[in-house]
This record gives sequence, C-alpha cells and structure tokens, in this order.
Amino acid sequence: MIAALRGFYRGENSWDILRLSRKVLLGSAAAVLICVVALFVRGLNLGIEFEGGSVWEIPVPEEAQGAAADDAADGSGDAAADSTTTDDVASAAAEAGVPDARVQFVVVTGSPDIFRVRGVLGPDADSAAVAGALADAVGVDVESLSSRQVSPSFGDEVAGKARRALVVFFVLIALYLWFRFEWKMSVGALIAVGHDIVLTVGAYALFGFEVTPATVVAFLTIMGYSLYDTIVVFDRVKSNERSLPARSHFTYHALANVSLNQVLTRSVNTSITSVLPVLSLLVVGAGFLGAGTLAEFATALLIGLLVGSYSSIFVAMPTVAWLKGYEPGWAAAQAAADAAGRHDSMEAATQALAAESYTRSAPPRPRKKGRRR
Amino acid sequence: MRRSQIVSLLLAILIGFGSLAGVLAAGWAPVLGVQLQGGVEVLLRPTAPADDEQLDRAIEIIRSRVDALGVAEPDITRQGEQVVVQLPGVKDKQRAVDLVGQTAELRFRPVLLTFNPFDEAEFGSALDLAGAYNGAVDPEDDTEADTETVEAEASLDFTLPEDDIADQAVVLPGRGEPVGYVLGPAELTGEAVAEAAATFNNAWVVNVDLTDEGAVGFDEMAARYFGQQVAIVLDGVVESAPVIRATEFGGTAVISGTFDEDGARDLAVALRFGALPVEFEQDDVRTVSATLGEGTLRAGVIAGVVGLILVGLYMLVYYRLLGIVAVASLAISGSVLWSLISWLGESRGLALTLAGTTGIIVSIGVQVDSNIVYYERIKEEVRRGRAVRSAADASFKGAFMTIVWADLASLIGAGVLYQLTSGTVRGFALYLGLATLIDLAVSYFFMRPLVVFIARRLVNEEPRRLGVLRPADGDVAPAATTTGGTS
Repeated sequence: MIAALRGFYRGENSWDILRLSRKVLLGSAAAVLICVVALFVRGLNLGIEFEGGSVWEIPVPEEAQGAAADDAADGSGDAAADSTTTDDVASAAAEAGVPDARVQFVVVTGSPDIFRVRGVLGPDADSAAVAGALADAVGVDVESLSSRQVSPSFGDEVAGKARRALVVFFVLIALYLWFRFEWKMSVGALIAVGHDIVLTVGAYALFGFEVTPATVVAFLTIMGYSLYDTIVVFDRVKSNERSLPARSHFTYHALANVSLNQVLTRSVNTSITSVLPVLSLLVVGAGFLGAGTLAEFATALLIGLLVGSYSSIFVAMPTVAWLKGYEPGWAAAQAAADAAGRHDSMEAATQALAAESYTRSAPPRPRKKGRRR
Repeated sequence: MRRSQIVSLLLAILIGFGSLAGVLAAGWAPVLGVQLQGGVEVLLRPTAPADDEQLDRAIEIIRSRVDALGVAEPDITRQGEQVVVQLPGVKDKQRAVDLVGQTAELRFRPVLLTFNPFDEAEFGSALDLAGAYNGAVDPEDDTEADTETVEAEASLDFTLPEDDIADQAVVLPGRGEPVGYVLGPAELTGEAVAEAAATFNNAWVVNVDLTDEGAVGFDEMAARYFGQQVAIVLDGVVESAPVIRATEFGGTAVISGTFDEDGARDLAVALRFGALPVEFEQDDVRTVSATLGEGTLRAGVIAGVVGLILVGLYMLVYYRLLGIVAVASLAISGSVLWSLISWLGESRGLALTLAGTTGIIVSIGVQVDSNIVYYERIKEEVRRGRAVRSAADASFKGAFMTIVWADLASLIGAGVLYQLTSGTVRGFALYLGLATLIDLAVSYFFMRPLVVFIARRLVNEEPRRLGVLRPADGDVAPAATTTGGTS
C-alpha cells in the first residue's frame, strides 16, 4: 500500500484502470439501482419552495434560557426547550390557524437556538397573526422571527424551470463535447453526469434530506464539477491519441489506460482541494446553524464531489473506450493484440508516447524542440 | 523570462490588488442580500398574463412605494413574468410585505381645497381643514386623529400611505404638478370603471365606460358635486382632478384636459387596472431576522476562511514552491472578485446572496484545479527528464487549453442557468460564471509568469523543491541543452 502511494507520488503508476473499472462498475450499478428504488419507494422530501406552505423560525431568547435554567437543574442545553416545549409552540400555531404544524427544536451553537414551525396556513389565517402568536408563545419580539410563505403553484413553476434549464444544459453540453471531441465522448460524459445525479438525488431520498433550492444548486454544482473532471480526462486522451504514431500498434484500451494514469494524480489532488472547503462548510455550517441551509448544501456537495471524481475516471472513460472499441481501426488493433497475446500494449503505448513527446535522453529532434505535443 | 511575462505579472498584481485598494479607499463593500443581513424578499407573479409595458410600470410603482420605506439598497427586478423585490435590512417587515404588490384602490374623491404645497401657511391650513373634517366625521377616534394632525402639522407632510383611508379626508399631491389637494372621503372606487381608453379627438381625452352599478354611483356623485372638481386618486397621488360638467352620464364619461398622449394613456391604464397595472400574487414571501442573517454570514465567512487555509496548506505541502503560486493566485482572484462584487453592489444594487456565497466557496476548487492541472503537467515532464525551467514554459500551452475547455463547460452551465432560472439558482450561476472568468484571466496572466519565474530563479534545477521525485534519480541525463519553450 505504502509502496503504491509512493509510486503514485513519483508518477510511476500504470494500473489497468479500465479492467478495474469493470469490477467497480458492478458496485456502481448496484448503487444506482438502490437509489432508483429509493426514489420510487420513498420519494423526495420536498421543501416548502416546491410544495408550498409556510415556515417560521423563532429564536429562543437568552433570558428564557436563564429562567429555565433555574428550575431545570440537569443541564443548560435543553433548558430553553423545557421552558417552552414544542407542544406549546404547536398548539399556539394551531390556535392561530395553522393546523398540523410540524415543530422542531433546533440547537444552534454560537447563536440562539430556534423553534422551526412548518405548516400550511388555514383558509382564514393571516401570516402576520401567526407570527405574532408564535412570538408570544416563545416570548420574543415579532421582529426577531424569520418566516417564509410560498404559494403551492410556485413550486411547480420552480421545478418546471429547473427541468427546462437542465434539458437545455444537457443538449448544449452534448453539442459542445461533440464539437470539441467527438459524439462518443458526449455519450460518456452524459452517462457519467447522469450517474452522479442519480446517486446524489438517491442519497437525498434514502436519508430523507429536505430538497430546497439550495439543494438544486448543489446538484448543479456537482454536474459542473463532474463535467469539468471528465473534460480534463478526455482532453488528455485526445491529445495522446493525436500524438500516437501508428495506431495499429496499440489498442484504445491501452491508450485510455495510459491517459487515465497520467491524469490520476491531478484528479486525486483536485478532489482533495475541492472537498476541503466543502468539508469546512459542512463542519462550520453545521456547527453554527444546526441543520441549516449550509450544512445540507455541503452534504449534497460532498457526496457529489466524491462521486463526480470517481465517475469521470471509472464511468465516463470506460464508456468511451467501449464505444471506441467498435471503430474498425481500433477493433483491428484489439484483434491483433489479442491474436499476438500481447497484454502489455499499455507499456508499449506509454513508451511510444514518451518517445514521441519527450525525447530528452536521445539527441533531440530539432523539429520537436520544446514542443509539448 | 521574457519581458512580456514580467510585465504581465506586474500588471496582474497591480490590477488585482490595485482594484481592491481602490474599492476599499472608495469605501465600497459588497451589498449583502436578504439572507445575509435580514430583511424581506417577495416574489410576485401576475395572476393573469401581462405584457412588458404593464410589468415595467408595475415595477416603477413598486419602486416608488419602496422608496417611501427608506430601504438603503432595494433591488426590484423582473425575471420573465415575475417581479422579485428584495429589501435587505428593512425595519418594519410586515409593512413592507403588505405594501409591495398590494393592488391599492383607485378612488374618486371630491376636492375640498387646492393649495400651493410650497407655501407653509397654506399647507398648514390645508392640514387643519382635513384634520377638522376627520374630527367631525369620526368623533370616536378624536384623540388619535388630533395627535396625527399635530404630527402632520409639525412635519408639513402629505398623508402617509397607511393613513390613506377611504372614508377619511386626506391631503395629497398632484401627479407631476405643484398642487396640493385636500380631498373628502372616497365616493367611488375603481370597481365602477369597466373600461378606459385614450383617444385623440382634436385633443387627447380619456373615454371611461362605467359598469351598470358604477353608472348609478357616478351619477349620484355628479349630482352632488356638479360644477366642482373630483379627484381620481391612485397610490396617494391625484392623477387628475376634472370638473364635473353634467349630472347624467348614462354610463360613459369623457375626461378632457391638457393631456399629451402619454398623460392620457397613463390615466387610462390607471383607471383600468387600479394602482398596479397588473394584479400580483405573492408567490414566495421570505422574512429573515437580522440575527439569523448575521449568523449565516458569519458561518459562511468562517467556512470560507478555514477552507482556504486548509487548501493553501495542502498545496504548500504537496507542491512546495509551486504551492506559493497557488496561494498567490487565490489571493489575486479573491481580491478581484471582492472588488467586482463591491462594484456590482455599488453601481447596480446587486446583492451578494447566500447562494452566491456558496458559489464562490465552491469556485475555490475551480481556481486551485487550474493550478493543479498545470503543475501536474510540469511534474510529468520533469520526471521524464526535462529541465524544470523548460518544463514550466512548455507545459503551459497544453495545460491552459485543458483549463479553457473545462472552464468553457462551466461557463455554458452558468449561462444556461442564469438565463433560464430565477432566484437562488440564478444568483449562484452569476457568481460561478464570474469566478470562472476570473480563473481564466488569473491563470493566464498571473499563474503562468509566476511559475516560470520561480522555475528559473528559485528552483535551481532541484525538482524536489517542486515536490517532484524522479522515478529513479540518476538515470536521467542532465538537461543541459535545453532552451526555452515555444509557447
């Protein structure tokens, strides 16, 4: 293991990533299956932005915490919850015209704890009146409340817009990759991105996280990262393909493998540096805001980032390699390699690429001097 | 190192930190959105399809209402058919929510007195008249009416929107003319109007068709105020105050005066639709308390700083000298982005939203990746035996093309989202796009020359200083013959 890491750091890695991907992809397929099932069985826990309804957040005042601490000898954390219970808040909400309100007590370090009340306004209820009643129940000024009211039709519209934007995005990206690389790579990239989205959305269904516009932003970010990663990989494969001399000597499999090994360090490092800010967002966001927006956003991002880096290596490229294998030229190369029993064509490709681009120890060919490609 | 690269490096540093210094010196700071400093955010959607003209007029009216609230940075924008009203830092939130998007009544009020609002004595007696009128009509509310009059007298102000009550006398200004009106209780509302149109008949006039019920009420009013002025009042402004010239209108009225075409059309629109030319539904109303906003802001800032420190440390440990370039690139990008956000806030009133902040934190990763792509290429070439200084030059072209192609995909995504979505997602797309553009510029004009400089002056052909271990040190020929790259 240590040796492998050391080799990796020195850039000596030459692993048959494509062959490895066949085994790994079984796991991927299973995960996708679980996520799809979860989506159908459990469904998504949609926030009020998508379903309509109202949310009020009432901070628990410091004084109330102090007063409650007098009779609650056991601890300080739940003192506020003891003085006013979630049931009190729920009944206040029901009286003001919000039947069946869901009340949560959210502990927040660094700022006042909050009661979060979610429900649907009754036909005759007025949101200002509800806010007043809730503020009275907890004993705070009504100005310190935060609230949100969303009409039911709005959610459909938001979802509709997001869907349309997604379709346009996918079409444009597919065209872009086709123009820049080739259509087989469009297919590979879109399959990889689809894989990432299914896994992330599936995780939301599995864990029952609430889907908010922030979550949608997270999904979009994930798509962006995943595509970005995939393009970096494809770009390397393409440039290697162009600089290979006679393609009959190598299989596409070997070419892809060499390229993947070349970009692997970059993928790992980029993943680490992308995950670090998100991790800090998760820890700090959770620490300061309880189950707030930032924490959920960061959770989605974390899952998505890891899955995204994984998929550009293990899903996107294998798909392309599989499609390319059917092109006559590459198929012939593969057949020749199989017939000759050559399994080391990867090493040959590595050496050919090195010889082509980096002729340093041999006398430099003047035409190539200083040229990268 | 070429002269042009030195110039580019110096210029990048100058522009990066110079813009930051300029912004700080000018006292500009990013305008914080509702979620970051507390306030009110309302999303309005027309209940019936509305055309551009109606929406633009509606926005104008909402803006003038909001100005009355004294919000420092109101942001009212149209996104397709929707109107987004953001009032960060607004004090009286419930009043703000009520005021925005309410379809105030169009009212017909008899004119009791016209006066010159610039004459303090006249203004004072006008307020007295209205106060006396309300006192007589509504004796129960005596004390309150009195105090209000006293306050109003002290400040010599027109009736405030919330005191503009249908069955009370009010003191209101005329639209676009220096005339004040003292008006009696409303006789009719806009519901009496079925249709109104501006027509040209020697001069511009407004033809008004009344509803059946409205026609009866209108004739009653005409009988009572024959020969006097009746004001058409909208949103606390007298749109027009024609003199009643008949007692029997039979369901249609013609308002003539010294209208130009625009004036006639505006009046017709006002008569047709009431205060807002479109009726709005409040689709999404969000109020955020100042404490919650501050908490979110603090969490975002701390998360960003901690994340930056971690990333910087990782880059320094892994890439050694090149890590310094990565940290410096982040610093330059950060200061340019800060300047840009401050400038957008100052000149466009564009607020930095929570989603925007997360977009920026995320873009740290994109910026660092540009560094990593380049450094990995350099390391690869050095491992193959190339001299460090030559590798730094030669690797850039390929690396930069990779960065461009990948960033282009991000830009396509940001563009599509910005065009086709609204609210949270749109804010995110904007800042992601900006950060990506900055990344491209910084990579080309700052990262490259600095890396080349370091490779030439500081590495001294010891790849270890870049965190490069050659496969087996010693079996590679020294790169004595290398000359500079071509890219």
